[in-house]
Amino acid sequence: MSNGWILVIMAMLFLGLGYLGVPVAFSLTAGVLVATLLTPISLPSIIGQLFNGIDTEALLAVPFFLLVGELMTSAKVVGRMIDLSQTMIGHVRGGLAQVVTLFSMFFSGISGSSSADVAVLSRTLAVSMRKEGYDPGFTAALIASASTMANLIPPSIMAVVYGATGNVSIGGLFLGGIVPGVLVGIGLMVYSHFFGPIGFLKPRATFFQFAGAAWRATIPLVIPVIIMGGILTGWFTPTEAGLVAVVYILVVAIPALNRRHITELPLDFAKAGLLYSIPLITVAAASAFGWMLAYLRGPDLVSDWISVRAGTDPMTIMFLLVAAFVIIGDFVDAIPAIIIFMPIINKLTEIGNINPVHMGVVIIVTLAFGLITPPYGIALLMAAKFVDVKFSTALVRSLPLYVVFFATIAFCIFFPEVVLWIPKHVLPESVGCFKAPGGTGYICPS
Amino acid sequence: MVPLRAPSRLVLETQRHLKWRLLDPLEAITMILCGICLAGFSTSVFLDVLTRILHSPWLWLQEVTSTFFVYGTFIGAAAATRRNDHLYLSAITESVRGWPRLAIETFDRLVVLAVAYCMVYYGYINFLQGFGSFRMPSMTPIASLYAAIPISGALIALFTIEQLVNGWRRGFEGKGPAHEETYFE
Repeated sequence: MSNGWILVIMAMLFLGLGYLGVPVAFSLTAGVLVATLLTPISLPSIIGQLFNGIDTEALLAVPFFLLVGELMTSAKVVGRMIDLSQTMIGHVRGGLAQVVTLFSMFFSGISGSSSADVAVLSRTLAVSMRKEGYDPGFTAALIASASTMANLIPPSIMAVVYGATGNVSIGGLFLGGIVPGVLVGIGLMVYSHFFGPIGFLKPRATFFQFAGAAWRATIPLVIPVIIMGGILTGWFTPTEAGLVAVVYILVVAIPALNRRHITELPLDFAKAGLLYSIPLITVAAASAFGWMLAYLRGPDLVSDWISVRAGTDPMTIMFLLVAAFVIIGDFVDAIPAIIIFMPIINKLTEIGNINPVHMGVVIIVTLAFGLITPPYGIALLMAAKFVDVKFSTALVRSLPLYVVFFATIAFCIFFPEVVLWIPKHVLPESVGCFKAPGGTGYICPS
Repeated sequence: MVPLRAPSRLVLETQRHLKWRLLDPLEAITMILCGICLAGFSTSVFLDVLTRILHSPWLWLQEVTSTFFVYGTFIGAAAATRRNDHLYLSAITESVRGWPRLAIETFDRLVVLAVAYCMVYYGYINFLQGFGSFRMPSMTPIASLYAAIPISGALIALFTIEQLVNGWRRGFEGKGPAHEETYFE
């Protein structure tokens, strides 16, 4: 049987079983195992790939960023950041909608996980929004859209997985994600201001109210500084930065802000332990799938198809890849999608002579958008469930917000110099720059 | 006889009709192991950083870290199977009723069972072969890491059989959702 047919069987098995309700990790593994039977590869070596898939040092960061989110949420420390957002922007038109977006930007700097963001917002601000007469469909759509920023603003679990599997600088991806993250945030705020519900108009917070809220939020707001500061100064790897953030929460934040929560810590660790195993077992299965895809020369087939149409033009390559990933993101979870298609992304990055960090940021923004698109818009599904509104209603209200994402993706494709500006100036090596022979400054690829 | 009772906060009550009380302590133990693995590798990464800062690195800590990490992942996968916490592409099954639901749920679990069997059988072959390779610097056979896959496979198979038997006896349709919504992106 030809490689092409084996690829088709493997992909159809994965999607068919997945949509019949088999968990993603098992549907991926089942597809790979059947494909293995059609090749000379031995089954033990494929099962061994499950182990090899997670035996990557960079992936150690994932549990830490999930643990940070779990600890901050369960210790109820995040309320202080919501209060700060209220004093900053709660007085404008659609105040609570603006607070949702601003808080998401703050929280994105801590957790790296959309799910934590959706859970916190749905259980806190969504209740107040309902009381102020906000349409629940809009509330769910906004919460889901805002939560995607967790994958863009560092630290981002998607960036960790992308960097670890694609051999791309995680620090560079973190920094490159700031511009699209902020653009999505601004876009959502602008939309909420002009087209969203008005809500209750509240008086502007006084300077002292703002200063008080900022003071109370200082301890949690130090966490993004620790994470990014540690990585940018070169003191920590992303894994170590995650660890230091965990230690800070355990030693400083929880004792200072919610001492009674200390007795709950063992339960938090058990839950976070389970929480990290779920994406990582999917990573393991997706790695085996990606390995088989590469063995069957799938990347060559797809990249040849794209390069025949796009040539070596980076813009066209990116647009075709974005179109492909918009569709892929509709059906497949982002983490397996990154791992499965990484060989194809790498090949096309090379053909188009595209900066790997730029390509990574564009793919991550596209997959983050996939979190709010049907049928597998997981953030939207979750927000609709928590806000107690029909998924279809939330979907209709989220359609106008898609414009924000399309604009952000297009901006990222057309203006690589803006996306790469922060990594180029803060972490030049991450985008391929190297020190000038004279020792003054860096020489960067054009 | 004293009934086996697990700490309730570690055992998920969702889809109770698909669970045997007898296996509740096993779910609790896997959850505790998840916590121990996370705490263990957090501590080992912490000590690794600390000893490197002090210019006397303990190289074996990296082995400890990867051991906790790998076991945490595979044991967590088993716990997630009993709790129906895995990532799912769709919830189509939940909208189906009657015998089609029984057929689909049975088929889904048979697929999981087949994968679990491969994890146990071929994972065990890898485990045996792993005695020929060693982890540096401790020279521990790499089989110590490979053992995580068949152990996880056995637990996944056990929990899947539990769901199959109870599903056939009481039906798969319950009051709660078919699986918990636990998401990561």
